Amino acid sequence: MPTTKTCEDWDLVITPKDKVLWIDIKELIQYKDLLKLLIRRDFVSVYKQTILGPLWFVFQPLMSTIMYMFVFGSIAKMGTDGIPQPLFYFAGTMLWTFFQGTLMKCQDTFNSNAGLYSKVYFPRFTMPIAYTVNCFFTFTIQFVLMLIFYVFYLITGTAVRPTVWILLTPILIAQLALLGMGLGILISALTTKYKDLRQLVTFAIGLFMYVTPVMYPLSTIPQKWKVLFYANPLTPIFEMFRFAFLGTGAHNVIIWGISMVATLLLFWLGVVTFNHNEKTFVDVI
Amino acid sequence: MDTVVRVENLSKEYRLGVIGNGSLYRDIQSWIAKLTKKDDPWTEIGGQSKVGRRERFLALKDVSFEVQRGDRLGIVGRNGAGKSTLLKILSQITAPTSGSVKIKGKVASLLEVGTGFHPELTGRENVYLNGAILGMKKGEIDRKFDEIVVFSELDSEFIDTPVKRFSSGMFVRLAFAVAAHLDSDILIADEVLAVGDAKFQQKCLGAMRDASENQGRTVLFVSHMIGSLQQLCNKGILLEHGALVNSGSMDDIADHYQKLLAGS
Repeated sequence: MPTTKTCEDWDLVITPKDKVLWIDIKELIQYKDLLKLLIRRDFVSVYKQTILGPLWFVFQPLMSTIMYMFVFGSIAKMGTDGIPQPLFYFAGTMLWTFFQGTLMKCQDTFNSNAGLYSKVYFPRFTMPIAYTVNCFFTFTIQFVLMLIFYVFYLITGTAVRPTVWILLTPILIAQLALLGMGLGILISALTTKYKDLRQLVTFAIGLFMYVTPVMYPLSTIPQKWKVLFYANPLTPIFEMFRFAFLGTGAHNVIIWGISMVATLLLFWLGVVTFNHNEKTFVDVI
Repeated sequence: MDTVVRVENLSKEYRLGVIGNGSLYRDIQSWIAKLTKKDDPWTEIGGQSKVGRRERFLALKDVSFEVQRGDRLGIVGRNGAGKSTLLKILSQITAPTSGSVKIKGKVASLLEVGTGFHPELTGRENVYLNGAILGMKKGEIDRKFDEIVVFSELDSEFIDTPVKRFSSGMFVRLAFAVAAHLDSDILIADEVLAVGDAKFQQKCLGAMRDASENQGRTVLFVSHMIGSLQQLCNKGILLEHGALVNSGSMDDIADHYQKLLAGS
């Protein structure tokens, strides 16, 4: 920090505003033990005094899948591009739950930690990171379950075929996490001042699922509406994930590239807003 | 002399009353009205528009002081004098409006006992979590764990019980025990001794004094209990309406504060 240093070296200089445009990784590494404990706390505390415990992680998407098979598959008769319904809906639910879970947890960062944040300093980013990692754990468990289904279908010779794009899965998941966390921290910073944004977010995210190809493939969308879908950075993630594992779905690299740029920009915007907010939110909340 | 904390011309301004109109929808309406030069729909009759109205309050006014290594500084003042605001700025919880603070060494701040304790987790788990929140490393807590439990005077069978089953006294003792074992160069504490019984308070004061005299730690301590302050601190500062009105030895400051209280 460029301050007028005399002969003394200060370890910490507090000034009115130090605009930080990125995450202070060095500070986060110093607090890595805290990060681990927070992740553990969130994981353990949710399932203490519950009967099913961590089984909830697989129970929820399974129930959703059955529901979607019934509503979208049997009643609305929306196609799945020839992919077995359980696999198609489970993959969609799993990805969407990860995105939504991350976003909903992160958007509440300042509100749910107001007591803690106003009493002790530690890198504020530890919280949204811990939330995201937790959602990722849930996702991993569900992903393993999906792989079990997947292998079953592969062996029985149903119309699923993996493509080389499967190698891109980690990038797709990372992108989904960045998008969820980026939007989440952006909203969390805005909701400290405008509490009614929370209501908006809760129902907007529910509606947003219907304009994202989660429960139906993009191929069922009429040509004239497709542009709208491509403007949604989530579309290529879902489509490419399905293409990688199931062999059907759009895999346009340019559109994916655009959505990647949008993701990184949103994440960066989230970080800047979050940093800006953390210095003053105690006075506002 | 070795200065470890230097506070220079520190001020903190708060906006009073309603921030905006309280909801985004109303703020946008007011804002659009301002742009189109119409009347603000949310203006009270005969009043001023809320957006852009500046009701400000200076919680700290141009405060400057220095703390030397090993000093135990008591910060006194009446309610609303700016003590807590000062500590919040020193603890990096809120940013100052102007001025600066320079600090040498690792700071541990204790504005509340048991911050971050989670009711569902056991005493043991909470010691680790709370320690980490206060800036300790896991290895450090491992080493000090037994000491912490002994200091807290907690029966060993309770340490693996969720803290929601603790009595409030047990809770506070365990929480303070963690804080007392923080390995920092500077300890900032706000009214933390108000909780806990007299015997435990004495023990905590003793621990802080010991840390300062034998390990060269610096303590910044806010309290309304003049007795405890005089027992612990060697230096003091007095705040009144956000301004620093006196600084010197703790006994002089205590006298000045008593006069101030008697005068009002």
